Amino acid sequence: MKKQLTIGVSGINAVDNPGPGIGVARSLREAQDLDVRIIGLSYDAMEPGIYMDWVVDDAFLLPYPSAGHDAYRERLNYVQEKTGMDFIIPTLDTEMPFYMKYHRELAAQGIGTFVPTPEQYRLRGKDRLGELAKALDLSLPRTEVVSSLEDLERAVDDIGTPVMVKGAFYKAYKAYTGKEAVSHYNKLVAEWGYPILVQEMVKGDELNVVAVGNGEGSSLGRVGVKKMWITELGKIWTGVTIQHPAMMRATDRFMELYRWRGPMELECMVDGDTVYLVEINPRFPAWTYLSTGVGVNLPARMVRRALGLPDPQGASHDYDAGKLFVRYTYELVTDMERFQQMITTGERGDTP
Amino acid sequence: MQRLRSLALNPDGFAFDPTTGESFTLNATGLAVVEGLREGLAHEQLTAHLVEHFEVTPLDASRDVDDFLDHLRSFRLL
Repeated sequence: MKKQLTIGVSGINAVDNPGPGIGVARSLREAQDLDVRIIGLSYDAMEPGIYMDWVVDDAFLLPYPSAGHDAYRERLNYVQEKTGMDFIIPTLDTEMPFYMKYHRELAAQGIGTFVPTPEQYRLRGKDRLGELAKALDLSLPRTEVVSSLEDLERAVDDIGTPVMVKGAFYKAYKAYTGKEAVSHYNKLVAEWGYPILVQEMVKGDELNVVAVGNGEGSSLGRVGVKKMWITELGKIWTGVTIQHPAMMRATDRFMELYRWRGPMELECMVDGDTVYLVEINPRFPAWTYLSTGVGVNLPARMVRRALGLPDPQGASHDYDAGKLFVRYTYELVTDMERFQQMITTGERGDTP
Repeated sequence: MQRLRSLALNPDGFAFDPTTGESFTLNATGLAVVEGLREGLAHEQLTAHLVEHFEVTPLDASRDVDDFLDHLRSFRLL
């Protein structure tokens, strides 16, 4: 008999800028050889995943990890006591420092994770894109890392408008004038801190790859996508699977060179034969479910790998190009009680 | 030519490039030319094929093939 695994998944904010959690949770549920109970780890009582009980079994509110690691750990301890949580898949960039720092302690108390080392994480940082692009044989749009208004103005002058102004963790804005760049810079610094990247705008198609590194130099699988339609926030709404040789090679090279452990997303802009590196995210992207839909269930493969479970037969790395991904909106109606429960007790679910 | 060969083509003229994710729609003559190119037909043979299957003079067909090949080049498919 299969042991039921209780897996905590964060990023269950299935909103217009969706977290990856729901796609990850659905993937785990659809793995026929895994029996999972999903614990939603949320930061706001209105995250839609809390109410999606066909995907998320129990949900708990957590303090932001940036507000202090002790409070965050304490809350995870509580969740584990309450649910017997065996494994956590953090899906948000801001959570990564905590999980990289405490993965041993968590393992000692019976909570598995599969995350990169701090060194691996640092080497793929936005401030290291130059080295990374060179190592992966990709081009890089002209990029300046800035930490002051003077640096910003100089970078915008040097690169020339329009430019992209990007935050340390999230968000990127187009700036057509120096003034606009300053306004975006201030907004990003207030929200995400330093450094800020100023990058040349390059034209092309947005092509991405999701993969999971096994920590030993290769991947547990990888799937490429072309964004066909994006929201105003630049989030994929419709996409199609692709097999882009240069991007697949870059992904393999990244795994080999950095011995990456855990999920990652390679983001590129492709203009003809030129493949520009945009960034590498150290987590599953919000479109992860596409990989599952084409037969490469990366979240399930990662959990099996981390827990030493055997791969089911037919766990292939192949997938078809030309499979369409369509996101859609949906509504549910439920009792106010769930919301009240989350607000007053910080949790909801069936676990006694 | 490699990209042209790797296109997924359907009989209605929808073409999908599995490398870049780009898709194109071809009319009947465009489809005939792409299929001909994939079979290795040369310019003269493509022209003859169009004359045989569509109501077009050899001169117009030859010009159309030239135009279409330019289009394919502009999309980096040739």
